[in-house]
Amino acid sequence: MSTATQTSQTLPSIFSSNELRIDGREKVTGEAQYAADFELPGMLHAAFTTSPYAHARIVSIDLKRARELPGVHAVLSGRDIGEHRFGRRFFDRPALCVDRALFIGDSVAAVAAETREIAEAAASLIDVEYEELPVIFEPDDALAPDAPILHEGIDRYYFHAGKRAAVPHPNIQGRRVMVKGNIDEGFARADRVFEHTFTTPRYHGGYLEPRATIVWIDAAGIVHVVATNKAPFALRDQFAICVGIPVESVRIEPAYIGGDFGGKGLSVDEYPCYFLARASGRPVKYVRTYLEDMRSSTVRHASRTTIRTGVTSDGYITAMDAKIVFNGGAYAAGKPAPTLLPGLDPKLPYDIPAGRLERTSVYTNTVPGGHMRAPGDVQFIFAVESHIDMIANELRIDPLDMRMRNAVSGSGSDFEDIPYLEPSAREMLEKMRSASGWGKPLPPGRGRGVGFGVRHIGGGKAEVTLRALPSGDVDVVTGAAEQGMGILTLLQRVVAAGLDLELKRVNVIREAAMTETPFDPGAGGSRQTHVTGNAALDAVRRLREHVSVNGWPKDVPIEVRGVFEAAHGHEAAPHGFCGFVAEVRVDTETGVVDVLDVICVSDVGTILNPVAHRGQLAGGFVMGLGHALTEELRVREGKIENPSLADYKLPTQMDVPPLRFINIENIAGPGPFGAKMAGEINTAAVAPAIANAIADACGARITSLPLTAERVLAALRL
Amino acid sequence: MPPQSGAKVAAFEYIEPATLDGAFDALQRGGEEAHLLAGGTALVLLMRLGLVLPSYVVGLRRIEGLREIGISKEGGLEIGALVTHAEIERSALVQRFFAPLAQTFGHIATVRIRNQATIGGNLVHADPASDPPPMLIAMDAEILVARRGGTRTIRAEDFFRDIFDVALEPGEIVTAIRIPPSSPGLLGTYVKFLPASKDDFATVSVAATVRLDANGGCQDVRLALGSVASTPLRARRAEDALRGKIMTREVIEAAATIVAEDVDPLDDARGSAGYKREMARVWTRRALEKLVPG
Repeated sequence: MSTATQTSQTLPSIFSSNELRIDGREKVTGEAQYAADFELPGMLHAAFTTSPYAHARIVSIDLKRARELPGVHAVLSGRDIGEHRFGRRFFDRPALCVDRALFIGDSVAAVAAETREIAEAAASLIDVEYEELPVIFEPDDALAPDAPILHEGIDRYYFHAGKRAAVPHPNIQGRRVMVKGNIDEGFARADRVFEHTFTTPRYHGGYLEPRATIVWIDAAGIVHVVATNKAPFALRDQFAICVGIPVESVRIEPAYIGGDFGGKGLSVDEYPCYFLARASGRPVKYVRTYLEDMRSSTVRHASRTTIRTGVTSDGYITAMDAKIVFNGGAYAAGKPAPTLLPGLDPKLPYDIPAGRLERTSVYTNTVPGGHMRAPGDVQFIFAVESHIDMIANELRIDPLDMRMRNAVSGSGSDFEDIPYLEPSAREMLEKMRSASGWGKPLPPGRGRGVGFGVRHIGGGKAEVTLRALPSGDVDVVTGAAEQGMGILTLLQRVVAAGLDLELKRVNVIREAAMTETPFDPGAGGSRQTHVTGNAALDAVRRLREHVSVNGWPKDVPIEVRGVFEAAHGHEAAPHGFCGFVAEVRVDTETGVVDVLDVICVSDVGTILNPVAHRGQLAGGFVMGLGHALTEELRVREGKIENPSLADYKLPTQMDVPPLRFINIENIAGPGPFGAKMAGEINTAAVAPAIANAIADACGARITSLPLTAERVLAALRL
Repeated sequence: MPPQSGAKVAAFEYIEPATLDGAFDALQRGGEEAHLLAGGTALVLLMRLGLVLPSYVVGLRRIEGLREIGISKEGGLEIGALVTHAEIERSALVQRFFAPLAQTFGHIATVRIRNQATIGGNLVHADPASDPPPMLIAMDAEILVARRGGTRTIRAEDFFRDIFDVALEPGEIVTAIRIPPSSPGLLGTYVKFLPASKDDFATVSVAATVRLDANGGCQDVRLALGSVASTPLRARRAEDALRGKIMTREVIEAAATIVAEDVDPLDDARGSAGYKREMARVWTRRALEKLVPG
């Protein structure tokens, strides 16, 4: 690995040593409190009655038998609580369905009882009369002119901080078209035009910890929520709006989160548990089973992408026209972007002179789509990177050479003409070529493939408070949720480095999300090192203003609050580039793909937590490997056929090939001490690297994920 | 309707008799509600999924005499019903008796499951994707069954009636698995095809045993497959095609083609029926090729 060279400052030595996670001991010993560990006196347990139909009108609900069961304290239907919808941006998902259930697993009634067993028994006694309605499972059917409209009342739904863009069909959740240059002229300049279509399935995050919550209302009327939510301040707003109470009355209590991968940005059961707590006067707890989490929380959107690209005969792109349709499922509640599309505007590491990108997410009667690590990118990068190789193959150009010819350079830009700051695409491709032995002949049945991508570094506003104490210690106060990425340890190291203190002098304190607590935007978009880290550095600067010549403030204790804000603007910004070269062997009798060797080149800026950073890169790859080869949430007629980790196959340690990481650290990012990001940089390009390697090995081109052995074998016979 | 969530299993009575007679009593008391629990890896999973809701569970682990691995006077192997997969995998006795049998048990699930799950429980669970049954059928094993006042044996091949259904009568308990003396020079192999994760049930599995006579001809040939039908499948027509013949490429290919005709797989997450049928051919051929000398 190269040593970081900083233009503005020297890197403190603390960052050259591996971190000791400050939450590590608690987690290893089992002392760490996750949402499911919280116990309160008088606590009740919830259970839900859910729709067995993908689309049905609720004709009547009979709660009588459930209410009569001994040990039951509250039984509520949607009609009892009224229409309360929630979401991250667009509040379209009901706490409990009132008139209609829109997917199998939609909650229609809730119970709170002395034990989980009693609650489940009571939920099974709730008698719901349904009238089945016409169902829509695929976007094409949803977009038909005479398709049933899934959300009749959509114009009344709340849209947080802005206004929902107009859409051309009532079953569209969100749609955005980006245009750059003159696409007709671009295609006119092309020698050849290629068009291909790609599909990707739904994926589940596969986190260890299923969703869990406990909600209670104290004597002062404050609502306390323990949630498996990575963005507690956002949840606080969403919660107050959904249930209709002032935001000052809501506290999201800190709890560790057992893996997030994007999905934990949406809370689901917190809302009905609030109404149960209000009705019973008791704390109400709910811990999802894994089956429920897979069936009715959020999943990565299934997608279909069609790309048409014009190229010169020597492989230069003249125009690209891409259309992505996402199956959004029954609700758009899981998507935080104002466009109601998964993720922000996707980017490519190529110079596209003229382009058009159309993205649409569509309502269907299936499990709702939400955010998952590099949302939107996983679908789009698989399509583009497979497409580039298919074109290179037709033009008889080396695929790495074709990428090099089109790699974004200083003047390059994405679909909206926003320049990249210091794009490293060419340097990265050179590293991929030299490290992989690209071009060296391989034995029969083996092949190499490349996948390349780029991603924005998340922005937002964050605050961090520092308290200098008479003892010489410093407290770092944060409202950030530790969802596993290591933010608490990162804050400790950034503050220790900034104040030149020993680590043991810096204590990190997690506080509930409430009015007085330093605001945090929550993990997501790979923003936390960038914005929360910089807020800590800003606090360091403010504290230093109070520091006397001898190194410590005169008037202790003293408290300062650091603030940092980075908008997703339209100005040039640094990005995270990442590429893979995968080498595979294909068994042409069975279609089995063995991944033999993987090189991952990442443009990461300064590394602050080396162990966690390596974990992010390795984990991001393994998630991409699962997307590529083994994972698929199979949905038939709206029903998930494999809602368990026995049948939804995540890669295991035995399935992970040898990995080689090459990190480019000398291009400074916007984070503290020149950090960029790690969490979402390297998942999207894995699947196309493997798909391209399969094609190189045996000629089989597969345009649908996952690249199962059966699909490879079928493609070999075409 | 079973619980939708399966968070907690419904309450049930649990007893652990110390003797087989105690277990027979318990089975009689529990009647149709009674379920036997050995290692529990399958039953507890089914209970959590709400697929089995017993009100009366009889734990077998305190019963003496069901945990031994031994060689009979005739030279056969006898494995107690409560012996775990890991114990069989690591047993020096089993390795000496027939190493491919020990290796088969090393293919099952993960080390955590192998440390807990038992051979008797595995057979009674009768999952057609399970690893031990094809190998036990290929070794012509017998299953010893006890009931109050008597015992009987059932050939492994005849034990499986349907998915999750075996040829036990009410009140019967599997006590041991008996494998006849291995003929000198018997060769065997078990191949488990895992096209996705290494931690998975087989898409197709093949067990094969054969003894080659002085001329290299196949004798005592037995072939059995897993995951290709509602029960483990003995491939008798393919055995007939091999018997007495020298295992040339053509002979093996012909036998493998017959196997593909005789399987009856289901479409599921581990492959379509058509794919499994084809993989049955490929993996039968590969299993047999491993047994060709040289």
